[in-house]
Amino acid sequence: MSTVDERTPEAEEPESPTNRPPGMHLATRWMERPYARRIILLTVIISAVIIALTFVMVAFMNLSGGPASDIQGEIEKTMYVLTFTSAPLMGFTLAILTYSWWGGWGKVKGPEEPTEEGPAIRTNGVAVVAWITVCSLLAAFLVIWGLVELATITASSYGSVPANQQPNAAKAIDINVTGQQWVWSFQYPDQGKITSSELVVPINVPLYFNVTSLDVVHSFWVVEAGVKIDANPGAITNTGFTPNKLGTFNIRCAELCGLHHAYMETNLRVVTQEQFDSWVREMGGAKTS
Amino acid sequence: MSATAVIHEQKHVPQPRQVGKPGGFLHRTNFTTAVISGIVLAAIFYFITGAIVQKVTGGGQQNNLSLPDGLQQQITMMYIGWIIGFMAGIGAFAGPIRWMLGHDLTHADAEYMAGKDMGRKKFWKYTTDHKVVGIQYLIVALILFGLGGLLAMLIRTELGVTWAEVFNPNFYNSLIGTHGIVMIIAMIIAVTGPLGNFIVPIMCGARDMAFPRLNALSLWLLVAAIPPLVSNLLMGGIRDGWTVYQPLADQAPVGMIGYQITIIVFAFSTGIASVNLITTVVTMRARGMTWSRVPIFVYGVVGSSIMGLIWFPMFQYSQILALSDRVLQTSFYTPASGGSVWLYENLFWLLGHPEVYVIVIPATAALLEIMPVFLRKPLFSYKLAIAGIFGIVGLSAVVWVHHMYMTGWAPSSNYPFMMSTEMISIPFSFLLLVMLGTMWRGKPWMKLPMMAVYAVIWNKVIGGITGVYLSDTPVDQYMHGSMFVVAHFHFMLMGAGLFGAMGAIAYWFPKMTNRYLDELVASIGFWTAFVGFQITFFAMFVAGLQGMPRRVLQFDQAFNMANWISTVGAYVIGIGMLIFLYAMITSWRSGKLAPGNPWGAHTLEAQTETPVPHENFPVLPVVTSDPYDFGVPDPYEMLDDAELEANEGVSKVGAS
Amino acid sequence: MSATTTGTTSPEPLSPTTGEPVSEVARRNRLGIWLIIVSCTTGTVALLVAYAYLWSLNVSGGWAPTAGQANWADDWPFWAIALGMVVATLLLWRSWRVMQSGKSGASVALAGLASLIFLVCFIGQIMQIATFPFGPQDGAYASATLWLALANCIWLSLAMFLATAVMNRARVGRIAPDNASQIQFIAMFATYLCIAALLGAVFTLTMKASPNQSSPAFGTFQS
Repeated sequence: MSTVDERTPEAEEPESPTNRPPGMHLATRWMERPYARRIILLTVIISAVIIALTFVMVAFMNLSGGPASDIQGEIEKTMYVLTFTSAPLMGFTLAILTYSWWGGWGKVKGPEEPTEEGPAIRTNGVAVVAWITVCSLLAAFLVIWGLVELATITASSYGSVPANQQPNAAKAIDINVTGQQWVWSFQYPDQGKITSSELVVPINVPLYFNVTSLDVVHSFWVVEAGVKIDANPGAITNTGFTPNKLGTFNIRCAELCGLHHAYMETNLRVVTQEQFDSWVREMGGAKTS
Repeated sequence: MSATAVIHEQKHVPQPRQVGKPGGFLHRTNFTTAVISGIVLAAIFYFITGAIVQKVTGGGQQNNLSLPDGLQQQITMMYIGWIIGFMAGIGAFAGPIRWMLGHDLTHADAEYMAGKDMGRKKFWKYTTDHKVVGIQYLIVALILFGLGGLLAMLIRTELGVTWAEVFNPNFYNSLIGTHGIVMIIAMIIAVTGPLGNFIVPIMCGARDMAFPRLNALSLWLLVAAIPPLVSNLLMGGIRDGWTVYQPLADQAPVGMIGYQITIIVFAFSTGIASVNLITTVVTMRARGMTWSRVPIFVYGVVGSSIMGLIWFPMFQYSQILALSDRVLQTSFYTPASGGSVWLYENLFWLLGHPEVYVIVIPATAALLEIMPVFLRKPLFSYKLAIAGIFGIVGLSAVVWVHHMYMTGWAPSSNYPFMMSTEMISIPFSFLLLVMLGTMWRGKPWMKLPMMAVYAVIWNKVIGGITGVYLSDTPVDQYMHGSMFVVAHFHFMLMGAGLFGAMGAIAYWFPKMTNRYLDELVASIGFWTAFVGFQITFFAMFVAGLQGMPRRVLQFDQAFNMANWISTVGAYVIGIGMLIFLYAMITSWRSGKLAPGNPWGAHTLEAQTETPVPHENFPVLPVVTSDPYDFGVPDPYEMLDDAELEANEGVSKVGAS
Repeated sequence: MSATTTGTTSPEPLSPTTGEPVSEVARRNRLGIWLIIVSCTTGTVALLVAYAYLWSLNVSGGWAPTAGQANWADDWPFWAIALGMVVATLLLWRSWRVMQSGKSGASVALAGLASLIFLVCFIGQIMQIATFPFGPQDGAYASATLWLALANCIWLSLAMFLATAVMNRARVGRIAPDNASQIQFIAMFATYLCIAALLGAVFTLTMKASPNQSSPAFGTFQS
């Protein structure tokens, strides 16, 4: 509380009232209120906890070996940005909640009706305008960040642009993904139309998926690559990614598709180019271009 | 027509000819006659349809489900027969027929139908009094919650037993679907049903709803719609989740018909209830209750009704067309013959998303109503709260595609819909500011309704921040269809919606039942459920982040720990809810008698006596101020003013 | 109605049920009808969206009715039925005006005529459905068109009931010159039905062959 005492005379100096903008004066006065500093402190602590929790969240996401593509990397980066942006507001909310709950402003217990009434604060122009401005700016930032990120991952997953019109079309591998109850099958049209129940791909080569379904709606989810697109009967959807990590990853169905939906999963095996070529030969297909 | 009736002690009103006893046909109808006539008509429809289908198809009709010929049609007609028979048996058709014949209701008829001096029997009849309907809605909601909760326990049991299949996949998927839709229906009616019907007309200073007979109609349509939904578990179940995406639902056994009929009927029920509520609020407010003096809860209920009114037909038609695909072999959703799965998804989510706000808004508004009373402070920035509610109502129409980010429906539409989805956080932040501002420097009276406020704000913060992730398309690309989504919407629907409804019901319990809710036992139940809720769904967040898809029966060992914790938490919720229910039942039967205004509120419903008299107010009230005129002048403001006056230099600059 | 007003302070007739002035009740009913129309509009929009969306997608080439066995529906019945509904609705509006000016006899006759025309339209609608050159299983166009017609059929049965009720209520004096707005409400709702029927006719007229002729064949990656 000593800091409060230091500031108080400074603000009330009659000689130089015009040196300090009135807003600053009001803010300083506000800060002198007994609860102000405590709420700000609580806000900082809670925001820090929320931000720390994000690292735990992303750690959980990477528990099974990801990120296995740039897209998943972007997703995790976006999670940090989203949390950092919303943490102060959430922290402030929870700080007030905690402060009120713990009786910082006093509380009434017992069955008897409270006898005294609180301050009749109908509204507060400064608070309302500041809150709306801050919230709108944060929301605008989130929107802009999201749009840019969406454009980025759409570009790296080829969005809806056909594979042969892609800048690196020559390198990309086309894969036709078919979902049916309750298996995935992968056809490699450029590798002699070989068909596999496991997705085997070379590392650092762009993949382009055409996805459809033979019966009901499935959802093609390459978990560690952060790629997901529905497999719709009667329509072809597209996605893609470039694997950048060797290893075995999960492919699951993310849309309830009937009795054995839970078992509709397979593996993504990211291998080197040589291993891929020999796998293609083993499967009876032609060598890559 | 020389007869007159004395209405409200002073008016003599000429009456039309009284046809028979007051109440007429409705003397003979009650719940029992309704059930009997429903069953009889269902049986008749079932056998007649069977005969017709045999005759038309000659027994040669093929279907891909290896069901007996015509069973689909028979079951459909059986349910339709049940609905018509039930409604006829309860007396719902008497009104339109009397209207057509010109036998308008006399005052004596109306009083009979409102259940005046009828005792408990009125709860089993086509009673028009809004207070009776409110209690009936409460009972129906409790039954649905009990059922949905039981199914939730079974689901968590299956997921907790990671080493074996407890249920077969068909039954497990049916559990998920039935739990989902039962809970959605229960949540939609949880606040606007009991409280919207019981409290809102009194809050507005009206004697009844605008259309009392439609009020009874909406309740009994809801009651009629429940048996088809529940009976699906006996008929192969709705094994496709509550969203029943096509064409998967087309493969389902006949239990699916129960779902479709229920939704079609429930949509009528909700639409009628919405029309009634909006009309009541707009046209029947007490004298002096201008739009700036209407309690915020009324705004919340109206906002929710507007969304239900506008968007429910989309859901209804999505199910009508699905039923037609099934029964008439049309191809709206059958891709092999020209149907589109995206058509279903769009129609479904056009209601499916606003429906979330239909649930959350009234619960939130009820808490906004509670806060000033328990803090003895005015509602902070009343107009901002209204702006928040209607901002959400407006934006709710343009966000549905965020459920379809990953469908590949129209990848470029993800950009605008991501924008609109994130924009909806702005009106939500208005409501948050109103809550925080009301809490600011207030001395809370720590009773159960106020404690619900704290619980709900906490849950909303968690639901809100996880919602930010999901609204963002890139992150949703990972999260969509995972357990993370399940945990998120439980935080919103259960955490904000159900816990809010519990607080609201605790608040208005004395008004509705004349007795206090047992504070101690109910609080123990509430907090037990709250703690269990946090355990369950935080563990579920973790499972989702690890990549566990939703609606699965078996899963990777990596998810075991999260699921065990989640199941334990779910049982804790179950225990907590049972304790709360026990508190409700015992208090209802033998709780402490409550006075008319147990909490010291300023709204009109607190000004009439308890139990609420037959037409609510002996003399209609006149409103002279808004219901939030609590509080004493702010000491800090006075301090500042005094200082500013003393210090003229600052005062001049500060005033500009 | 104004035969005995002993004890009544208001010059306006009062509702026998609640004792309020009938204009108060009418204000409430008018809002109710508007809200019901809003809700019904969403339903109509759902059907029209289904029609236009399936038309634009032509999933698996399944929009058009199967060639040879089935065909596009004739256009004129849609327009004929819609025209009938418009005429009946205009009669209802006229009936309201006439009732307001005190000629209840003429009003009853007009409402009766409207009810009769609705009946004719209803029969026409059923005949149209029975004679469609396709069955419900013949592709998406067949489905969407069938449901536009079926919905209209349901609306028409409701309109018949309402118009008949108006006629009867006017006949027995429940609708009187000083309490005529009930006819107006029914006419408002009938107007909405006309718009729905006309939109259906426009959709079926203008959207026949799908603009998308290169949809992928079901379950394959070739178009």
